[in-house]
Amino acid sequence: MNDFFYSKKFKILLAVAVLLAGMMAWAGANDRLTNAPQELLGAALAPFQKAAQLLGGGLDGLVDKYVRIDQIIAENERLRQENQELRDQLVDYDQLAAENQAFRDLLNIEANDPRYQYASAFVISRDPLDQFGGFTIDQGTLQGVEKGDVVVSDKGYLVGRVLEADVTSSKVMTILQPGSYVACLVSRTRDSGNLNGNAAWAVQGNCALENLPRDTLALVGDEIVTSGLGGEFPANIRVGAILELVPEESGTSTIAVIEPGADINKLTHVFVITGEEEEQG
Amino acid sequence: MTSRNKRNLTLAAKWACYFLLLLVAATLQTTPGFLTIGQVRPIFILPLCLAVAMVEGEYPGAFFGAVGGLLWDFTAGRPGGLLALELLFICFGAAILVELYLRLNAMNFVLVSGLCALVVTGVDFLFFYAMPGYEGAAARYFELVLPMVVFTAALSPASLWAAGRVYRRFPPAE
Repeated sequence: MNDFFYSKKFKILLAVAVLLAGMMAWAGANDRLTNAPQELLGAALAPFQKAAQLLGGGLDGLVDKYVRIDQIIAENERLRQENQELRDQLVDYDQLAAENQAFRDLLNIEANDPRYQYASAFVISRDPLDQFGGFTIDQGTLQGVEKGDVVVSDKGYLVGRVLEADVTSSKVMTILQPGSYVACLVSRTRDSGNLNGNAAWAVQGNCALENLPRDTLALVGDEIVTSGLGGEFPANIRVGAILELVPEESGTSTIAVIEPGADINKLTHVFVITGEEEEQG
Repeated sequence: MTSRNKRNLTLAAKWACYFLLLLVAATLQTTPGFLTIGQVRPIFILPLCLAVAMVEGEYPGAFFGAVGGLLWDFTAGRPGGLLALELLFICFGAAILVELYLRLNAMNFVLVSGLCALVVTGVDFLFFYAMPGYEGAAARYFELVLPMVVFTAALSPASLWAAGRVYRRFPPAE
């Protein structure tokens, strides 16, 4: 038995274990998740993941198309009608926008309309251990993605932020993750609160807007947008709608259960806001 | 070519195949929507590392487990080294278990894989779910983590088959 513990191989094994513990300590001390050997492994894995994502997406789409053909036809008809209604609304909207612009000019208010730079990204990986919808995208520091960049869905709904940017890929922490605070507003009433992940509601893909006033006038169905407070998230990014309002345990505030506009657990494509530039001209 | 060179080449080819299998396992494990039942998905990296450890022996298996663990740390967004350490010791132990007490067959492999998956997912759940004090931890464990363990164990013979194929294709020199 002594030979076993004093053998060269066992000493090497222990040295590797100490090295791994050191790597973990280094990652923790530097507020990082990964280190150089893992980034190499990740770079080797990325082409496989991209191929699997393309293959998986194609197959899913094909099967889905034929399984749900009746549903798709009905949905198509409904969308045609909806499209017509939206066109009508657009005429009204154009008129309102023109009026709005006129008022802005009149009051000499400088329009604060930053244009964001977006990076298009595909979801290439979701690990079974992540229980709050976190995923990896195929864009990294080479494409200008940085830690803390905001991630939105195809339709512009808030998804989360970049937790760590590697060279060719980045990890995204979603708004379903407890501790992912985002300052938000109820669009209609302008009540402010903190959007946060909640383990109890994350299973259904929902999150919570905490610290709403106890006497809030917010209602089920009201839209939630980011407020821009704190500067981490730009203002007026749509988040989702209120699903339910529940009093907080101590009774001092109200919690709104939010159904995100993006189906976070099934996203396949997102946009990363990589920067912003002031409007030219 | 001398016999030593040939042996080194065979060895390199064998471990390249294992590494390729590891990349495939990591890809399957992280492909969005692949083999998803409800929200439950199987783990492929752990059974493959166990299979390689069991056919190759405790030391090569432990090192392969560490590499697999590093890759898993990367895909799962865990602090680099945590799963690597776990897999290093688990693969080492599993290989010794097979060497001393168990016969290597599909049934025993399913049992060992299930047990190891239970340990790894249990530790992960403890650190990243139960200890932060998230609500509904127990329900989550029974609804998601345990089914994941069962799913992983059920599919684990595929990893043993793949590792066994590579091992038989490149038999150790006499």
